[in-house]
Amino acid sequence: MTGDLLLFAFSAGLAIAFALAMVVQKTPVRSVLALVVTFFGMAVLAVMLAAPFIAAIIVIVYAGAILVLFLFVIMLLNLNEEAREKETRPVQRALGLVAALALGGLLLGVTLRAPAPPVGTPSAGPRIPLLDEIPVIGRLLFSDYLFAFEAVAVLLLAAAVGALILSKRRMD
Amino acid sequence: MKPLYWIPLLPLLGFVLNGAVALASSSRRARRGEGGERLPYGERLFHGIVGVGSVGAATVLAFGALVPWSEQAFAGRALPVVETAFTWMFAGDFSVAVAFRLDALSALMLSFVTFVGTLIHLYSVGYMQEEEGYGRYFAFLNLFMFAMLTLVLGANLPVLFIGWEGVGLCSYLLIGYYYDKDFAAAAGKKAFVVNRVGDVGFVLGIFGVLALFGTTDFSFLEAAKQQVLSGSAPLSVYAVCLLLFLGACGKSAQVPLYVWLPDAMAGPTPVSALIHAATMVTAGVYLVARTSALFVLAPDALTLVAWVGAGTAVFAASIGLAQNDIKKVLAYSTVSQLGYMFLACGVGAFAAGMFHVFTHSFFKACLFLGSGSVIHALHHEQDMRKMGGLAPRLPQTFRTMLIATLAIAGIVPFAGFFSKDQILGSVAAGGHPALYVVGVATAAMTAFYMFRLIRMTFAGEFRGTHEQEHHLHESPATMTVPLWILAAGSVLSGFIWVPMGVSNLLPRFLAPALAEMPEHHMSHGAELGLMALSLGAALAGIALAVRWYTGRPAPEHAAHRPAEEIVVSPAAAAFCGKTGLLGALVKNKWNVDEGIEAGVLGPFRGIGRVLWKGVDALVIDGIANASAFLVELAGDLLRFFTTGNVRNYALGFTLGALVLVAYVLFF
Amino acid sequence: MSPLPGIAPMSVPPAAFLAAGTILFVIGLIGALLKRNALSIFLSIELMMNAVNLLFLTWGRMRGDASSHVIVFFVIAIAAAEAAVGLAVFVALFRARQTIEVDRVNLLKW
Repeated sequence: MTGDLLLFAFSAGLAIAFALAMVVQKTPVRSVLALVVTFFGMAVLAVMLAAPFIAAIIVIVYAGAILVLFLFVIMLLNLNEEAREKETRPVQRALGLVAALALGGLLLGVTLRAPAPPVGTPSAGPRIPLLDEIPVIGRLLFSDYLFAFEAVAVLLLAAAVGALILSKRRMD
Repeated sequence: MKPLYWIPLLPLLGFVLNGAVALASSSRRARRGEGGERLPYGERLFHGIVGVGSVGAATVLAFGALVPWSEQAFAGRALPVVETAFTWMFAGDFSVAVAFRLDALSALMLSFVTFVGTLIHLYSVGYMQEEEGYGRYFAFLNLFMFAMLTLVLGANLPVLFIGWEGVGLCSYLLIGYYYDKDFAAAAGKKAFVVNRVGDVGFVLGIFGVLALFGTTDFSFLEAAKQQVLSGSAPLSVYAVCLLLFLGACGKSAQVPLYVWLPDAMAGPTPVSALIHAATMVTAGVYLVARTSALFVLAPDALTLVAWVGAGTAVFAASIGLAQNDIKKVLAYSTVSQLGYMFLACGVGAFAAGMFHVFTHSFFKACLFLGSGSVIHALHHEQDMRKMGGLAPRLPQTFRTMLIATLAIAGIVPFAGFFSKDQILGSVAAGGHPALYVVGVATAAMTAFYMFRLIRMTFAGEFRGTHEQEHHLHESPATMTVPLWILAAGSVLSGFIWVPMGVSNLLPRFLAPALAEMPEHHMSHGAELGLMALSLGAALAGIALAVRWYTGRPAPEHAAHRPAEEIVVSPAAAAFCGKTGLLGALVKNKWNVDEGIEAGVLGPFRGIGRVLWKGVDALVIDGIANASAFLVELAGDLLRFFTTGNVRNYALGFTLGALVLVAYVLFF
Repeated sequence: MSPLPGIAPMSVPPAAFLAAGTILFVIGLIGALLKRNALSIFLSIELMMNAVNLLFLTWGRMRGDASSHVIVFFVIAIAAAEAAVGLAVFVALFRARQTIEVDRVNLLKW
């Protein structure tokens, strides 16, 4: 086993294990924390896929901002109690599990059928230097994807305003 | 010489002017709440001048065109004049132009249509002056003249058809002139609808002509003439001839499409004279004569024409024997005389048929206008049983009507004698003994019922009310002058064709326009014999009528009311009593109308009811209602999907995605 | 297509990455279907989105195409916006209903 394979196995396994943990946990706080670890694992995988910038983004934005926001809301609403009631719809739950597993199987079948890479001739050269990604992405963002970039900016503004309005206390 | 199209155009102009003024005037009167009386003098003057003037000017133009042409024709130098106004429609090789044609046949028709038409317009000035719808009347009458002249002058079948339909429309408008009377309105509708049945044949015939010859212009007749030499004609020519004849039957009131004409008497009497005696009903004969070259190619079709004509002649004459309304007698007489014209065409004597058209227009118009004079004098009494003894009170009417009656009965030297004799002579010479017998029998019946009419109306003592007797007076000059002119025509018009070589004007004139038929020559002796025979039959009819209808009531019948049959003629009443069922049928017009109602209209109404109640209500509405019901049902079932539970929806997504991915993967 | 400089062959077979991503996606799907707590469901959805990001990156690496990185960039940005608004909705919901269990929020039923 090469070092890469090992690294992959470790981080993928970590991600999957803690994802399962997240699903199994009853307390929201513990779920969030499990998910944070999952995301770290996925960030490592991203680095292995020659996307260090994206890895950084995952850690900073996803794990660092979004999940922290989740924690804030949990604290705000004091939602830490476990759910006490029994499941009201066991059949639906079982059906959902079966359907999801079935779908998963099929998706595996689909994704693993993806054709082999080679767009250009695979060079026997060195690995991709880690720092070359950012200018390429930057150039793309401001040329081909400029409209989407601006639109997302507006979207974020709208989201901020919307969140503000939705969470105001009603002035009754 | 002005172009031909001015001849129909001037009456059209009259229609527009009269119509506009009539509309404006009637709406003004309606707004003011006036109405029901006759129009002011100025308006009547306007309508009269425009109405008579437009037709009179057309007459002048017409004669101005046809007199010089006829001179050329007699010198053997004239060709038909065809003037194209504009191209009406075209599609590829096919084109139809609005074109007018002056040849021998159309010149003949033009002459009496315009002349008699003008006289009737003049007569109407006096007859209709009490009417509030005076302007409307003249407008429609002018429109009729426009249509009739278009029909006569048309150079191809479509233009003729425009005129054909136009006269049908005007017939409807004028029969229904008294539109507030249900019967008149219904009669107008009946005329139009029955005409339409014939028109189906006519239009299909036009298509047939187009298919056979590639053109609807009358030049196709030249091609048809050539084919006479090349042997027998294909089945399609028979079909086309039969279809065209169906159209002619509708317009010219042959059995069984005659039922509209007696009912059409509901219109004003001048209308009956113009449209249903002199001009419109002769359009069918004109059509057959015009397409004679085609009919000659299908001898069996001609035979059918002859038999239909003869059958109609005798059938209508039989009904005329028992009618008591003066106009109805004349109506059935018209149907019968039209039968004679078709009989002539059917044996190939097209010129004889046209001759009868010509003479008939004069004496029939005179008879109708005369009856109008009588009706007018008696304040719209039309039942002959309530007339009688009018001869000294209405001398001019009596004398002109007597002249016209002698003409229609076929007494020498009046016009009807020559034209009827020409027809019967051709029938005999062509070797059709059965048809000849029918013709002579009809002539006898015609003479009988016409003199019955004269005797019941004019002879003996007056059988009406005292009030009517008090107001009796002869008609004004505007009415009597046309009567005299037409009576003169009834005398003189026969002299254009006198047998045995005395006068040969008409056949020579018409020959180039009609088909050539093998000449049948008879010896002078045979001709004189036939003339004597027909004259004898007519005189016999007259004698019987004069004997039976003395007009003086016998004292033993004083107990009966004056208008009963037995008072009018005890001998006739006795005879009717002995005829039993046959007599009853004749009196009831052979129940033809009832037969049509039961046999044709009844089933149609039944079909309509089935389609309405069954197909429309049950099936179509049912489908619409059922689909609405189904949609509602579907909605009621589908709403159970909205459970409000988010997890349900998520499950739905997942299942859907599952199906899609499976589809992509496995198919 | 704008390739990353040079396409080196991957030392770990790409199928492994794809399998990992798909498994993470399915785990997130299970969580979304089975949990009753709205926040837990939301977390599962975030996991699903990130799994998809991983798949995108894998395909981008396979083809040497940097457009997939840009797509992932946008996905993350949109996920952030969505999280903000969604959590605000849950806050409002909690204030109205005093509960955050999805089974209780079912007024919009037939």
